[in-house]
Amino acid sequence: MRETLCRRIARAFARHAAQVMPQGEMGWGQAMQNECEAVENDQKALRWAVGCVFAGYWESSNAMLQTWYARGLLACLIVLLGLREFFAPFLIFSYRMHYLGLANFLGMRTAGHDYRRLIPVMDAIPAWLPVLWAASGLLFLAALWRMLRRQSASGLLFFLAFGLDLVGLWVVRSIQASTGVVITPNPIVRAGGVVLTFLTGMVLWRMTRKRDLTENG
Amino acid sequence: MTRTPNRSRQTQALLAAMLEKPLTWRHGYELLKLTGQQSGTLYPALLRLCDQGLLEAQWREAEKPGKPPRHVYRLTRAGLAFARGQVAPAPGKLTNLLGAKA
Repeated sequence: MRETLCRRIARAFARHAAQVMPQGEMGWGQAMQNECEAVENDQKALRWAVGCVFAGYWESSNAMLQTWYARGLLACLIVLLGLREFFAPFLIFSYRMHYLGLANFLGMRTAGHDYRRLIPVMDAIPAWLPVLWAASGLLFLAALWRMLRRQSASGLLFFLAFGLDLVGLWVVRSIQASTGVVITPNPIVRAGGVVLTFLTGMVLWRMTRKRDLTENG
Repeated sequence: MTRTPNRSRQTQALLAAMLEKPLTWRHGYELLKLTGQQSGTLYPALLRLCDQGLLEAQWREAEKPGKPPRHVYRLTRAGLAFARGQVAPAPGKLTNLLGAKA
């Protein structure tokens, strides 16, 4: 009997799912592929196979997240996120303490390349906000430290830092509205920073979640 | 580590399904029908439970000729104890669970 297109696609998907499974779990890939053959209904077999592709990539990404280069890349990202949190406190501190050379140097790294543009915002920022940013930066670095030492709660620390960061952004937004000075005029850069931080946190959570489950087993 | 494993709704459903007949070997597709999950959710959960020693897997010859062998799964002794602790059984199934041997 001639096979339906649905069945052939299901078979191709199931084969692909088996191929993308990590090296150590090839038997599971074969199991998924073989199980597809046992599903009598072609459409259900296709649904089964699509799910298997998802499972294959999920397991494959789990394995990839445990590699040294994935961990290294994630560590670099977290370092950058942590250091970024100290940028504004340093700029405000140097401006308020009249270390104008340092303020000028840091101001070159801002949008507009001049710290003087940001003076109305820096004057309006309450004293506790740089402390909040610094705390956020420290939490990012603590999350990194725990990740590198393969300890739990790194994801929790990361998202706590992210939460503080978001509070800071929310406060700054109202200050920007009152002063009329926009710190980062490009909305893509603003949104990109938040999205990148969130995605980094999700990757960290997945990376450490896999380890937690295995060690608890 | 302080995190408690296997707390997800999907894993709980899988454990509950396996607890119904703890000694029976079950195919992946049968578990999918029992739990109502997608294969994309089911297989990572099965794999994880096997890694943790809560499930055991075996290859079995297919019942129909010409079909490839299939993976079957059942709870290990540790898995049975764990599942009993995790899943609150329905009253009608209690006798079954208590009578089951690991």
